[in-house]
Amino acid sequence: MHIPDGFISPKAYVPAYVAAAGLWSYALGRVRRNLDDEAIPRVAVLTAFSFVLMMILLPLPGGTSVHAAGIGVLAVLFGVWTAFLCVSLVLLLQALLFGSGGITSLPVNALAMGLIGGTAAAASYRLLRPLHERAALFAAGWLSINFAALVLAIALGVQPSLARSPDGTPLFFPFGLSVTIPAVMIPHAVIGVGEGALTVIVCGLFAKLAKERGS
Amino acid sequence: MRDKAALFLYAATVLCVTLVHDIRLLAATLAVVLLFSGRSAPRLAARAGRAILVFNAAVSVSYAALALLRGTFQPEFLLRMNLRVFLLTYLAFLLVSRINPFRALSFSPALLHLFTLAYGQIIVFRRLFDDFRLALKSRSPARIGTRDLYRNAGAAGSFFLEKALHSSTEITEAMRSRGFFRDPR
Repeated sequence: MHIPDGFISPKAYVPAYVAAAGLWSYALGRVRRNLDDEAIPRVAVLTAFSFVLMMILLPLPGGTSVHAAGIGVLAVLFGVWTAFLCVSLVLLLQALLFGSGGITSLPVNALAMGLIGGTAAAASYRLLRPLHERAALFAAGWLSINFAALVLAIALGVQPSLARSPDGTPLFFPFGLSVTIPAVMIPHAVIGVGEGALTVIVCGLFAKLAKERGS
Repeated sequence: MRDKAALFLYAATVLCVTLVHDIRLLAATLAVVLLFSGRSAPRLAARAGRAILVFNAAVSVSYAALALLRGTFQPEFLLRMNLRVFLLTYLAFLLVSRINPFRALSFSPALLHLFTLAYGQIIVFRRLFDDFRLALKSRSPARIGTRDLYRNAGAAGSFFLEKALHSSTEITEAMRSRGFFRDPR
């Protein structure tokens, strides 16, 4: 779901790097305060967990399948800041080890997927949990994907206004918000169903296992 | 030092490539980078081409169709966009093929520890994930249904979650026993 390199102008990615750097530092500080010595190993292994979740193929209606993102699972179980750090680190690993994703779009992708997606998941779960546990988990997964997609659609859609030549030709991405929002959001409304289902199953099974181990 | 310098050079080049909008200059930069890559240039170019093919083709075709309908078609835009995306992707693959990312990130100890530990765990998790995938395949003579695929995905997810938490404690203890953390006393 992330934006590749070359479609985001420096007017967007430079401020995004500044904002993300501050938030990464704050997030690491928060996780360190909560976990002390275990902070770095915990974030590292959850990053690997996030990476492997992104390898899982989710079948969708119509015979297609998409990769899971796992933002809902991370945010519900470990909180927004851990989810933000893990998703950001996955994006950095993909860029530096596998050459995929992109270094210019990294902060925009990290803020959209890790922070906004994670916040949407954690907030909806907290809000809906008293009503229905499984519905709250499904909403967390669905909303994490859709909020992240909305931010990415906006980030792409504002590019023609942010960067264009004197004759009005866009310099990075050609389509405005009227095209990017429906083009990104309509498929993600369906993709979110798979993500929601995965969040319900993984969190449900994990809670069951924890209960069995505890008893 | 060489890896760190290469990483900073890459970051500076990427910034310049996104600040330059002249097609001739972008093409000249690409030519220089291709020459600098030597014999690995065709392989890296093929990888970069494959990596951008789907997204760029979708954007290019949609742009061409919409702009032709509106009478605003600008071939230079298409050339500039595709040239820049290809150049940036090529640079990323060139960087990956030439540097040791662990040495390159050594300017930040916290980032280096996170990167190293995460990469080590990713290797282990990827192998285990392949086992999960092959196990499902080998035990399913017929086409696997959606419900079973989700069950398998959920089981894999919860397994990796449990393993991650276990590994986290194990790694922390291993690091502590080797005196990695400061003694609070």
